[in-house]
Amino acid sequence: MKAYIAFTKKEWLESIRTYRFFILLAVFFIIGIMNPITAKITPELLSSLATEGITITIPEPTAMDSWLQFYKNVPQMGLIVLVIMFSGGMTGECSKGTFVNMVTKGLKRSTIILSKFTMSVCMWTISLALCFMISTYYTAYYWNIDGLEQILQSVACLWLFGVFLIAILLLMGAIVRSNYACLLLVGGVVVTLFLINMVPRLQEFNPIRLTSGNMSLITSEMAIADFVYSISITIILTVLSLLGAIMVFNKKKL
Amino acid sequence: MYLSTGLEQLQEYLPLLLPLIIVELVLMITALVHVLRHNSYRFGNKVMWAIIVVVIQIFGPVVYFVLGRGDE
Repeated sequence: MKAYIAFTKKEWLESIRTYRFFILLAVFFIIGIMNPITAKITPELLSSLATEGITITIPEPTAMDSWLQFYKNVPQMGLIVLVIMFSGGMTGECSKGTFVNMVTKGLKRSTIILSKFTMSVCMWTISLALCFMISTYYTAYYWNIDGLEQILQSVACLWLFGVFLIAILLLMGAIVRSNYACLLLVGGVVVTLFLINMVPRLQEFNPIRLTSGNMSLITSEMAIADFVYSISITIILTVLSLLGAIMVFNKKKL
Repeated sequence: MYLSTGLEQLQEYLPLLLPLIIVELVLMITALVHVLRHNSYRFGNKVMWAIIVVVIQIFGPVVYFVLGRGDE
């Protein structure tokens, strides 16, 4: 336990010194502000494009448009930045050889994986919470947000998908040695999930649903009960990836 | 007439734009200070990174910290 706390602290220091945490916060802050801006400015941009003879009728933007932007920007930009930021966590230290000292001094290899997971999840949670709070604040500032339900549930789904991605990142980082190979493999996993999503019968079980079905939660087209299979599969896959990462890492030559 | 509507619009968007501009500036300045203070980069040189960080908003500093920053 002592080793775990010490290593987590080291992870924390590392992410501050390498500016990783700072960039995550800045990017998620910007995404949080961009959502209401895009929702608000798009109709005006379009109407300024309309020349004589063309009439474009654009409905007045609503809070729904702002959330639409949120669930477009965070899964795309946000998750990509998250994956790129954390992709070097395992492979970088392997190639630099900084694990060797600690492991020979008796640090358990599973502790390394678990600390890295804890710290990454903490940072993802803080960043997403920041983005969500800013987006909510400005959306409420410009529009009436009554009647939108299950916003928290839909964000929680998105959060869970981020946690799943972090676990996959650790697994891939334990398997390969190069940073880019790790990124490529994680990308491969996401592409595979998207391909599986093309089969309608499997959609209900696919983790991708946690990032694509959010809007239907807000519009109350779906209830959280519709996500139960997808959520359970994601949690199972997350735990399995972590166990796999520990098993692979235990056998890895440092 | 046009000017006054422009000002009104600006006022409407100011609460959104101001924090955005501040964060962009903070990102730019931190990256610029880091570029100027360190001499080793994974690729490229000091002038190139300084220009990238200042000219390209948001993405410039992010790319520098992720790809360009050398190890001390």
